[in-house]
Amino acid sequence: MNQQFKRSKTARLIMMVPAAGLVLAGCGEKPVEVQVFNTPDECAAYYNPPAECKAAFAEAKALHPQVAPRYANKQECETDFGIGQCESAPVVAANNTESTPQQSQQSSGFFMPMMMGFMAGQMLNRGGMASAPQQQTASATRSPVPNQPLYKSRDDRSTFRTATNTAVASQPGTTSIRPSAVQPKAGSLARRGGFGAQAARRSSSSFGG
Amino acid sequence: MKRINCNPRPGWKAFAESVGFNFHTFDGEPYWDETAYYQFSLAQIEQDLEDPTEQLHQMALDLVDDIVTSEQKLTQLAIPEPFWDAVLASWRAKEPHLYGRMDFSYNGKGPAKLLELNYDTPTSLYETGFFQWVWLEDMLMRGALPQGADQFNSLQDKLQQAFSELNLPQPFYFASVTESIEDKGTVDYLMDIALQAGVNCRYIQLEQLGDIDGQLVDLDGFPIQGLFKLYPWEFMLQEDFASTILTSQTQFIEPLWKCLLSNKGILPLLWQKYQGHPNLLPAFFDDGSNLQPGWLRKPLLSREGANIELLTDDGKRLTQDGPYNDSGYIRQQLAALPQFDNNYTLIGSWVVGDSAAGIGIREDNSLITKDSSRFVPHIILD
Repeated sequence: MNQQFKRSKTARLIMMVPAAGLVLAGCGEKPVEVQVFNTPDECAAYYNPPAECKAAFAEAKALHPQVAPRYANKQECETDFGIGQCESAPVVAANNTESTPQQSQQSSGFFMPMMMGFMAGQMLNRGGMASAPQQQTASATRSPVPNQPLYKSRDDRSTFRTATNTAVASQPGTTSIRPSAVQPKAGSLARRGGFGAQAARRSSSSFGG
Repeated sequence: MKRINCNPRPGWKAFAESVGFNFHTFDGEPYWDETAYYQFSLAQIEQDLEDPTEQLHQMALDLVDDIVTSEQKLTQLAIPEPFWDAVLASWRAKEPHLYGRMDFSYNGKGPAKLLELNYDTPTSLYETGFFQWVWLEDMLMRGALPQGADQFNSLQDKLQQAFSELNLPQPFYFASVTESIEDKGTVDYLMDIALQAGVNCRYIQLEQLGDIDGQLVDLDGFPIQGLFKLYPWEFMLQEDFASTILTSQTQFIEPLWKCLLSNKGILPLLWQKYQGHPNLLPAFFDDGSNLQPGWLRKPLLSREGANIELLTDDGKRLTQDGPYNDSGYIRQQLAALPQFDNNYTLIGSWVVGDSAAGIGIREDNSLITKDSSRFVPHIILD
């Protein structure tokens, strides 16, 4: 092209132009197979690649302070999880990247149960073994079943439970679950609605200009 | 520079809606108006708009250094004191910025005069970068414009390039006020471009942003490490989560230091530093005295022409009501907008990163350009 144009070479849209959308309903959700373990070593003993076990454990460990149930004091926490099974919960700070989390050491004043095991949701994707854990994007680690910490309650020390108290297995190894039942949610309640008050007060079609 | 009447493309409204342009009509009146277009020469575009845009942008950036270390200037701009250190830190850390728009009064001859900077939440982005571009291509294809007609509009190309080079934390979130269809349209457009640049984008309603222990979080309670907010910094600094800004580990686009340049107080500060510059108008912080003919008064913090008071050269007073009467004011010499066929014409000139990236034209039947002012496309043709 000889001429130097002053306009964009192309201007295409891929998201704003609605495609014939496919809305997936919740019904008929298929269970998927995941593995649960007490430790990365145990995971490796089940013929899983040790590096993947370590990575899955690390991800679960990073998620632990974000999703573990929070208690206002240690006694309440130990009532549910047992004496000596609770620890102080840190302030939740942003990570630099999701694969190398940095948790703040500052205590939030809350307590949470200790992590007693982890669920590895990715390793059974035998067809997709190519995706090394450190290259997984945030969406990949969250879907369909994110690697996540597991807990054991005071009165049932054999059952692995998610942070939201869904029982997932009574022994290490492979188990079958519905992905929607084991999606991690943050353990502490967020305050919301802290932005937008000015918009409500100053009625306007736009808050740009 | 001239205004040329033309025929709207048959069926353009249905097409507009099919590509996400849901605010082409404003309160029953046309917002996108293709019954006319403006024609510029290449020299007008390059010498009178593009070059001054980049020069004024650099002048404004140079001014930030002066402001962040001056309690007097921070006070003049009404930046709340608890945020002074954070503004300074944001500037010192060179937190990257994405875009801005400056508005000019320009009639085709002589220097374009800078009316103001919209450097925090500039809008009319989609109309400029996408719909105006499609209009040109479409009109060329239909033979309704002379072959060789071009447009000063590299906005989408430059935004996509910026998104691919900004190295944003991912997932990267975009937020806008729930009730504003127009703002959602702007954010959808930016997300679309970011997506094409490979960014993992998520939308969250501004009011749904959460706070856990001083960290901004999404709906699932996960930390938000990167956020584009189509919401003015000056609002955020006085709302319930204002203190969250100080503690949250979040990269904001636009960065906090942009609150200095989106403030009308930048105009008197520019005039102080570069008095007599051909593209600048005399401007001062308001002392509350009566306006003289040929001057106007506008709030430090406002948008869409709101709360402006203007006295024409022959003493006619024009005022525009609005919801922004609670900050200080500046006064600026009037550079009356030029008239084309009884329309007052304003030119919005875009900056992406530090490059001039195109223009969008707004028309109104009053000297004060508002959110309802029509958007009219343009071409370059020598």
